[in-house]
Amino acid sequence: MSRFESGMESMVDMFIYESTSLLEQLDQIMMKTESNNKFDEEDINEIFRIMHTIKGSSAMMGLENMSTLAHRMEDMFFIIREEKPVIESIETLYDIVFSSSDLLKAEIDLLQDDDSVPTDFSEQIKKIEDFVVYLKTGKMPGAEDAGNAEEPEVSEKPEESEQPQSQAESSAPADMVKIRVFFEDNCEMENLRALLLVNKITEYCRELKYEPADIETDSSTAKQITENGFLIMFNAAEEDYQHIIREIEDAINVKSYEIVEEEEVPAAPEEVSAPAPEEKKAEPVPEQKSSAPAAAVSEKPAEKPKPEPPTPAQTAEQINNKLAQKNNHASKGKQSLISVNLNKLDQLLDMVGEIVIAEAMVTSNPDLKGLKLDNFQKASRQLRKLTDELQDIVMSIRMVPLSGVFNKMTRIVRDMKVKLGKDVDLVFEGEETEVDKSIIDNLNDPLMHMVRNSMDHGIESSQEERIANGKPAKGTITLSAYNSSGEVIIVVSDDGGGIDCKRVMEKAKANGLLTKPEEEYTDKEIFNMVMLPGFSTNTEVTEYSGRGVGMDVVRKSIEKIGGTVSVDSKQGEGTNFIIKIPLSLAIVDGIEVSVGSSIFTIPINSIKEFIKLKENQLFYDTSKKEIVKIRNKCYPLIRLHEFYGLEPKSHDIYEGVVVLVESEGKSACILVDELIGEQQVVVKPFSPMFNRYNIKQKGMSGCTILGDGSITIILDISNIILDN
Amino acid sequence: MANEVYAQSSKNDFNTNGGQILLYYIDDILYGIEIQYVTEIIGMQPITVVPGVPEFIKGVINIRGKVVPVISIRHKINQPEIPYDEKTCIIVVELDELTVGLIVDRVREITTVLPTDTCSAPDFKSVNQNQYIQSIIDSNGEIKQLLDIHKLIME
Repeated sequence: MSRFESGMESMVDMFIYESTSLLEQLDQIMMKTESNNKFDEEDINEIFRIMHTIKGSSAMMGLENMSTLAHRMEDMFFIIREEKPVIESIETLYDIVFSSSDLLKAEIDLLQDDDSVPTDFSEQIKKIEDFVVYLKTGKMPGAEDAGNAEEPEVSEKPEESEQPQSQAESSAPADMVKIRVFFEDNCEMENLRALLLVNKITEYCRELKYEPADIETDSSTAKQITENGFLIMFNAAEEDYQHIIREIEDAINVKSYEIVEEEEVPAAPEEVSAPAPEEKKAEPVPEQKSSAPAAAVSEKPAEKPKPEPPTPAQTAEQINNKLAQKNNHASKGKQSLISVNLNKLDQLLDMVGEIVIAEAMVTSNPDLKGLKLDNFQKASRQLRKLTDELQDIVMSIRMVPLSGVFNKMTRIVRDMKVKLGKDVDLVFEGEETEVDKSIIDNLNDPLMHMVRNSMDHGIESSQEERIANGKPAKGTITLSAYNSSGEVIIVVSDDGGGIDCKRVMEKAKANGLLTKPEEEYTDKEIFNMVMLPGFSTNTEVTEYSGRGVGMDVVRKSIEKIGGTVSVDSKQGEGTNFIIKIPLSLAIVDGIEVSVGSSIFTIPINSIKEFIKLKENQLFYDTSKKEIVKIRNKCYPLIRLHEFYGLEPKSHDIYEGVVVLVESEGKSACILVDELIGEQQVVVKPFSPMFNRYNIKQKGMSGCTILGDGSITIILDISNIILDN
Repeated sequence: MANEVYAQSSKNDFNTNGGQILLYYIDDILYGIEIQYVTEIIGMQPITVVPGVPEFIKGVINIRGKVVPVISIRHKINQPEIPYDEKTCIIVVELDELTVGLIVDRVREITTVLPTDTCSAPDFKSVNQNQYIQSIIDSNGEIKQLLDIHKLIME
């Protein structure tokens, strides 16, 4: 990463992660307000907070362009919050916010590129400024105007700094708690770390001052902080003290902190390890207030009404009390979530897998054979139970609901709705369905393409056309997800015009994509042709589709994660794109069966029953294929050993076991040698090396490692039935 | 495509700069593999057969919870299969995030090869013959054939 110093990678990662999720949150809020057609105070505060955080953290990363843009957005929302202007052209506001959010996202993407250059946002900033002027016309006092438009060098950054500028007092009011924070040695950029900390606790404080004050602009303050620590003075409601303390404790690189007491003995919270505090004369610049300050410009924080102004002595005690009860007060959902590097989870999962195998090696050790070990058995059962639980927990950690990916589509539909002039509802079903994190990450692009495709090609371009076909004027795109026989199935469906087989066929012929005589193509095959590379029935290339690349990309990226895509359509009624993805790490209940020396796992949800055949149940159809009759129903028989070219234990069908399976409405009988047992297994995808051998089509969906370390292959019943 | 380019450049690197190679035997013929790709050497493991893949892929093994395909070098260089014994080894290699096990008769040692020791592969490659040879190494009075690991796995 040439744009960042080495050693900053983890911070860059964190920044990217944080900012991306914040921007997503922003989109969601804007989406919500747009559909409700009004801004709640809460929404505005939230947007404010998001822009503020992005501003702070991008400044810390030295990304000035992002920081300035975020700052301008913040200014804009400041005015909206404070002045509550009547905005006539609300669309302009939405456009500005969405486009800014897009710019920031694009910039974040660029960061991951080694030699990208910061984008120039001045145009966008100009737009925002113009809008701000529009908002302010005739309403804002000139002084504040100037404060917003230019960026004074010192002490300007945090939001309400314009107001109490007069208050350069030389010491903090008596009722403020002072905390001196020391950062770890050599953590570098102490001033920016301090700024981050300040940003974090601002929301809990009624008042907040800190020293040195100009940490955001003056990097020489870093040295001061290293030497004297970072002094925070704040005044907050009682219940917020513990939040503040916790934030300080949890902040990255904080070595220690202490509560500075002037008249009393220093209260000693947990980690005091710094040298005795040298009381310095504080020269704070009052910077931030938390809640919406309806206060007049001249009002001083000290004069504000406070519910219970705690004295420092009380405060220290309270803090200690609070710390003691910390666990009882696990409030505010926020603190119950942490973000973890996915690599660590991968390692954890591997580790657990090894523990399970190691456990099997110990408990079924050949050295123990024939020994009567009651206590050992008891202990190993206990171990077994614990490892099982551990495994379950680790699996569940990695599972993420699809709602996140689905929600991103709202934004796409919104944008396209405007551009294409189509009125469309986006409906979610089963968005709580959980998929492994690594799969989720790969679903975004394909889904986006498909939704775009449905918007552009699927839904009819005129409402009249829809009404004429007896459909509601408003189109509907449905994203639905559900679990089915060890797979997650995601369907993107629209109620548009459907795929025109004739046009597809003509196009395919023109592009030379046909591989067999035209009349041999089934509808299904024709539908699936739309996913061939270079295929688009759209005659014109639009901004969104028509280049014939999209659906091919969809197929490729879904196949990359071991899934399949198929298309189903009814002309005049709509189109369904069906994505099937394996739960790559999901736990599947399976029955192990043996064929010769091989062991296979059949997912339990596709098994109907097991049968020992009797002679009168077997006969042949006209093409000499074996048919099994069970209770007046006939099923084709698939000998698994023949299907896979293996050597069975016995060719005698009456010695083997017949498994009646069903998947996607089709049933068949599968002949195996023996049943071994039932087990919960972890699905592992095949090595990418196997991708080119089409083993998915041959009915193998993945493999799994059993407790004893051996590998079995998990069968995909629907493909076996199809392939037979 | 990218793989080919990469293979090409690393091959040239090795031929010009030399490097360390792991020596192993198929029958009594000494072969080498560039050490940079080798992650570990393990003894023979029970192999799970995967139906429907070419014969040179013997199946998959479990290496600490990871399902790794194994390839028979013998099969790749058109030698008849022999029963595995206690000397049979699996060399686990990793390239381009792909982990693969290579079954060899036995491994010998790691040796450093000087660029002067290598000569480029013979020019009589064909589909059935010598197609995997990357270079011939002549050092310490022994001839070693360095196999092109990318080609071995990707083709």
